[in-house]
Amino acid sequence: MGYNFSQIMAVLAFALLVLAGILQAAYLLRNRRVLDPVSHWLLAAAAALLLAGIVERSLRIRFVAVTNTFESLVFFAGVTALVLFLYRLLAGERLLPLVSFGGTVISLALLAIASSPAIPKEVQSPIPALQSYWLVLHVTLSFIGESFFIVSFVASILYLAGGDEERRKKLDRLSYTAVGIGYPIFTAGALVFGAVWAQTAWGTWWSWDPKETWALITWLVYTAFLHTRLVKRLRGRLSAILSIVGFAFTIFTFFGVNYLLSGLHSYG
Amino acid sequence: MDALYRFFKSVRLAIVLLLLLTALSILATLVPQGQQPAYYFHNYPPLLARLITGLGYSSFFKSWLFLVPCLLFFVNLAVCTVDRLVGRLKRKARRRYGPDLVHVGLLVLIVGALFTATGRQEGTFFLGRGDSIDLPMGYRLRLLDYTYQQYEDGRPRDWISTVEARRDEGLLEASYSIEVNRPLRLRGLKIYQSSFKREDTALLRDQSGQLEALQSGKHFQWEESILFFSGIDAGQAVFERWQGRTFAEELRRAASQPIGPYTIVELSSRDLTGLKAVKDPGFAPVLAALALVTAGLALTFIQKRKDERES
Repeated sequence: MGYNFSQIMAVLAFALLVLAGILQAAYLLRNRRVLDPVSHWLLAAAAALLLAGIVERSLRIRFVAVTNTFESLVFFAGVTALVLFLYRLLAGERLLPLVSFGGTVISLALLAIASSPAIPKEVQSPIPALQSYWLVLHVTLSFIGESFFIVSFVASILYLAGGDEERRKKLDRLSYTAVGIGYPIFTAGALVFGAVWAQTAWGTWWSWDPKETWALITWLVYTAFLHTRLVKRLRGRLSAILSIVGFAFTIFTFFGVNYLLSGLHSYG
Repeated sequence: MDALYRFFKSVRLAIVLLLLLTALSILATLVPQGQQPAYYFHNYPPLLARLITGLGYSSFFKSWLFLVPCLLFFVNLAVCTVDRLVGRLKRKARRRYGPDLVHVGLLVLIVGALFTATGRQEGTFFLGRGDSIDLPMGYRLRLLDYTYQQYEDGRPRDWISTVEARRDEGLLEASYSIEVNRPLRLRGLKIYQSSFKREDTALLRDQSGQLEALQSGKHFQWEESILFFSGIDAGQAVFERWQGRTFAEELRRAASQPIGPYTIVELSSRDLTGLKAVKDPGFAPVLAALALVTAGLALTFIQKRKDERES
């Protein structure tokens, strides 16, 4: 069995991410407050390889290759690595080393799942229902939004794990701003463009299939998260818990629904 | 009245309602929706089954259990939206219209959903090449052509129904290709590519020489039996003979052979396209709502970024 181009890119990206993770871990063991100077470039290279794999598949099927589970996972992992890289570049020291490490581990986990034999990797043109640019917007924006949820998730876990006041404040802020960026992108992608696509393909905005319902549940949790920021006494702990629950639901919406509940979204 | 207003303008109430809707919706995805009551009694312990059917959990998103929290959420959101706008006018605070747009969008969305829930109608129909159908609101559709394209590996690539659309004899579309993800949008009515099927026809002649067309899925009575025409297979018409409710035998007949009181004159088949017509009074409000929500989110984001930079 031969590997296709995107699989080779995924293997190389996996290796780079492992290297980045080891580097980050080594730095963390020496000093928990200083970001290493190299790993984010490895993350950028991994993202480039993964997205190159998607571009190559897209050229072959003459459609944006985000139409099955493998492609979705590769895209998600790539965008996550890219978001971590951009955070490091733009936010600098505000991105804590442990958050970067946690994000790298999640990106690795996504690629590991993509490598599962249960997930077909053949390059296939999409069936008629998937041939819509609304679908492309729906999928890509959902995952871009969710990549920011990963940053918030890791920051929230670290927030609950404790530490001094200044550090917790930094984590709380990071968690909030990450959702602040991810939420509008996720809302537009998962809910708005998803509904527009459903309307174009089937003539109905919404049909309460389990995946749709779970996307809405995820959105409700992040909406609650954002509103806890408006009530002083609810900030902090409850926000962190909601961010963690929100990400758990994000992952369940992606994987759990496909394997545990049945519905319209049988393709990914 | 004041107390009620204060109750509904609370952000805490919003958080509680959001989390309540979350919890209720999770439960709803664990219980298969829209089944007959018997299904739940068969699959769940009696007490749980009675709870599911009694509370309306079998069709949760139409039940009071969901609609009442939604109504409270609507009131909560409406009061908050008004309160924010009024408060801003009074205090002449900095203008932050992003969240207001999102909130107004969501209110419109709920109203639009209500229009859809009460007024949406849809119907599926099948057409062969040359067939016409009269649709509601004076529309008339004629199928000019229908093609089914496949990829090399046999998976479906596209279904294309080319139609002519008229309204009250005025020509609207001389030739429009309806495809999956490319519906025909008429004023007040949309037509979607929905499914396809093959229709087999057996042209029969009775003893008096009369011709009669029998489509697959139809049947006729002969003496003590019912003959059910299930379709054409390998050039032969396949009939099932039933006696009462018991299956008796399968009969295969080629053209010019007899079946019951008839002789088969000709066998033919043709492809039919399945189209779905949808009338949705909630379409425009929901579209407007989605546009408002998207614009509101974008505006909020831009304003927040600006604030961050300024501080």
